[in-house]
Amino acid sequence: MLISKPVVIMQLPEELNRETAQNFMLELQPLLESHRPRIVLDCSHLRYIDGAGVEMLLQCLEEAMKRDGDLKLSAVSPESEVILQLMRVDRVFEVFLTSEDAVRSFSVTPPEADPQDSPLYAAGLFGDVEALKQAS
Amino acid sequence: MSALCDLLQKGDFIVVGAIIIVAPEIPDPPRDFSAVRSSDRNLHAVPVQKRTPLACVETLGRSVLERGVDQMLRAGVSAITLLGDNCLAPVRGEVDQAATNFPLTWGDDAWLGAAQILSCRKEPEIDVSFLIRAAAFVELDPLDALQFHREQQQVVTRAFDEEGPLDIWVVDTARVPESDDLLVMLGQSEPAHYTVRGYVNRLEEPRDLRRLVVDSLSSRCRLRPQGSEMRPGVWIDDGAQVHRTARIVAPAYIGRRSRVEEQCLITRCSNVESDCQIDYGTVVEDSSILSNSYVGIGLDVSHSIVNGNQLLNVDRGVTLEIADAGLIRRNGILRKEASLKSAEAFDWGETMCAQDAGKHVLDDGSDA
Repeated sequence: MLISKPVVIMQLPEELNRETAQNFMLELQPLLESHRPRIVLDCSHLRYIDGAGVEMLLQCLEEAMKRDGDLKLSAVSPESEVILQLMRVDRVFEVFLTSEDAVRSFSVTPPEADPQDSPLYAAGLFGDVEALKQAS
Repeated sequence: MSALCDLLQKGDFIVVGAIIIVAPEIPDPPRDFSAVRSSDRNLHAVPVQKRTPLACVETLGRSVLERGVDQMLRAGVSAITLLGDNCLAPVRGEVDQAATNFPLTWGDDAWLGAAQILSCRKEPEIDVSFLIRAAAFVELDPLDALQFHREQQQVVTRAFDEEGPLDIWVVDTARVPESDDLLVMLGQSEPAHYTVRGYVNRLEEPRDLRRLVVDSLSSRCRLRPQGSEMRPGVWIDDGAQVHRTARIVAPAYIGRRSRVEEQCLITRCSNVESDCQIDYGTVVEDSSILSNSYVGIGLDVSHSIVNGNQLLNVDRGVTLEIADAGLIRRNGILRKEASLKSAEAFDWGETMCAQDAGKHVLDDGSDA
């Protein structure tokens, strides 16, 4: 049985610079320290992000992934998208049009899914290998 | 030049002049010039422009304005006057720099000034004058335009391309009406239509500037980058420094005194104009880095125009003003070096240089 942890959506502030990024990080920290955090950062209000802001996002992603979780972005404005691209991190994050889409994406590939709980993948793969062996 | 001289020697025209003006478009419908001409200058209704006209922006080493002046000189046009409109006062420095060899005369209404100069030119026997607004990049054949104008036997001939009128006129100075009437004639009436056969880029939006660079580096127009073509499609201008581990993949242009640091990649019709610095590991692809810009470490600049701390992404139509000086900014350090050189060149005194020696000052006045 798969038990999904809820996905937490957090709204990023209008400006993400050194100061606001630190404050935001403090808010996010407890969530990042939980087991398998699943976080969506809603960027719909975000108007400006600088190097420190991008650094903070990368740090959050790293923390989430260390604990087998993930962090996704939603509603990224074209302006923020340009900054992410400029800093070469646009391909690091999964970006969705809306927060709902981002939340839904977690349920498609739940991080809780233990390999043992995924018979389709495991049996399918090894089944094919066995079939190949027999054929040879 | 010789072609026009030949024409002149045949006695068709005595002297050909040109007035090039840096101003907004001629008003349509024309302003009440009689009111403007009076002493009340408050009637000057043209709003102040804060953006440098794209024709005055350095493009592959030289501005379109300067290239236009050169085109006229090469054609043998003897008297060239450059006029600037005071509504461009906020960007006057940039406009003046765009044509360093040809100083501009600034006034409250460049159009009216041009009309008055044309009226005055009857006296010093300038028979025909080009009137050009520095706006579009036009591959004009002045001789062909003059011949067409002569054949039409009209006071004014206007250049057109397939999209419509261009701000280029040929005016019979001897038959020019009073300045007010002339301006109405330029703006409203139907002069003879001369069709430009060459390449035209109207430079209306920043994306047009990118298109001009791409067209030039792809040899789709006659605009040639300054400097030397070090290998096919790679143009390097005087004093540019490219680190040996940096890669310049053709077609590309590196401007005067610019520095491309280690591991950088400049490619896909990108141009880095004068006094720029592209820092370690940055990729510049399908982009223009305008003069005096710094681009920071490890960035990916694509489909964009960078001007100081402003970045315009042409694909997305997004303009950003980036406050993070570690990403992009005005190139304060190189500007400082340039100003020190100028100080030496103009002998501004040892005290000033000595005080600032070893200290880099950024644009905002902070120390680097």
